[in-house]
Amino acid sequence: MTFNLFAAEEQAIEQARLLGERLDAVAPEFRAEFDALVEAFRRSTREQRRLVRVSDRLQAQLGSANQELERRRQEAETALAHLREAQEAMVRAEKLASLGALVAGVAHEINTPVGIAVSCASHLDDATAQLREKAQAGDMSRADFARYLTTATDTASLILANCERASRLIASFKQVAVDRASAERRAVGLHRYIQETLVSLEPKLRQGAHTVAVDCPDDIVVDSYPGALSQILTNLVMNSLTHAFAEGQAGHLTIGVEESPPGTVRLTYADDGQGIPAEHLPHIFDPFFTTRRGEGGTGLGLHIVHNLAVGPLKGAIAVESEPGQGARFVLTFPTVTPEDGTGA
Amino acid sequence: MEPLKIPATGRTPEVDFDFAAGTLRLSGESYPDDVATFFGPVFAALRAFLAEPSDAPVRFDMELLYFNSSSAKALMNIFQMLETAAREGRPIAVTWCYEENDESMQELGEDFAEDLHHVSFTLKQVPADGAP
Repeated sequence: MTFNLFAAEEQAIEQARLLGERLDAVAPEFRAEFDALVEAFRRSTREQRRLVRVSDRLQAQLGSANQELERRRQEAETALAHLREAQEAMVRAEKLASLGALVAGVAHEINTPVGIAVSCASHLDDATAQLREKAQAGDMSRADFARYLTTATDTASLILANCERASRLIASFKQVAVDRASAERRAVGLHRYIQETLVSLEPKLRQGAHTVAVDCPDDIVVDSYPGALSQILTNLVMNSLTHAFAEGQAGHLTIGVEESPPGTVRLTYADDGQGIPAEHLPHIFDPFFTTRRGEGGTGLGLHIVHNLAVGPLKGAIAVESEPGQGARFVLTFPTVTPEDGTGA
Repeated sequence: MEPLKIPATGRTPEVDFDFAAGTLRLSGESYPDDVATFFGPVFAALRAFLAEPSDAPVRFDMELLYFNSSSAKALMNIFQMLETAAREGRPIAVTWCYEENDESMQELGEDFAEDLHHVSFTLKQVPADGAP
């Protein structure tokens, strides 16, 4: 038996046909009118069938439109996920690149004391050889020996002082570099750590005759992620050097630190450059926001600053600036980072 | 008789009834908010046109590509009016356009032709996404 959606209607039509035959016998004058009514019912049934089909077609179209919509939504979500991954990869690459810049800066810094030590050692070597020749020939005077002693004392103390400086630089660099790369948590004296971070920036600062004044109490110790702090300072300084100053203008950078309220470090970084246009202020922490894309800017420097401030340091960063009045960044973070911190 | 021309909107089709030439055309999509408001004037004009005694041939082109159930019923009523006029001797031709690959629209055309005995009915395939 096949299913028939309109079985009842067909049955009614069949009954009407039989009724029509009986009507012929008893009241044939009504037959034509009766047939017209039956025909109207037949047509109505046919129209009902068509309407059901039209309605089914519309439902099917709606269904496939919804499927298409869902497919596109998933495509868009996938594209968004890829975009986020690419963004994270770029942020990682940018961090590595800034580590590279740090290495280059420190290498440059170490080069000076090592160079001095090498030339002093070479000078001492020459003086020693000359004295040995005179001693072997038997014509070394008392004055020759006294002069050699002076040379040896001077050069030895220069060699020692410069090697010690190089050693100090390497030690501080090593710590900053390890902090940067490993993102390990540890306790550091803030003042000293800021100074150590600035060492790697020294060549860039000296190039433009920029100065940095640090005002930080010696007794502030933070138990946090110093690598993040070092990266933040480096990026802020590099941001100033890139944007704030006109060619040949010597800038004054200041870093002020206070513990206020107790348990919170408030670090104020400022430059006295040309300031940030008001229309850029809301976007400067956005990823890929840069005014120098053509000149190699990635637009990630301050984005990373923001990420590190709110991420590993569990703090916040704000910016204020007016054209011509320099830029001020205020970084606040807990002296002891809450335990659920994961670092970055 | 004055032609009836209604431009298409997002939900209603274009109506182009040139009564003098005997060519009537409905095209586009039809799912009006209020079926009576849209189809009322169309029916009135068509009824008045068919009421005038004439032997001039009439062509009706159904070029709707999407229509809702009320529009479908309105279409059946139009077809019924045309069928009645054709039965009384007027030469009337209906063309049902459907896009290629739209088999369900083609089948609907066959269904809608079921009650047309005096009207000459033609199915016409048109390129997809193109003006017929």
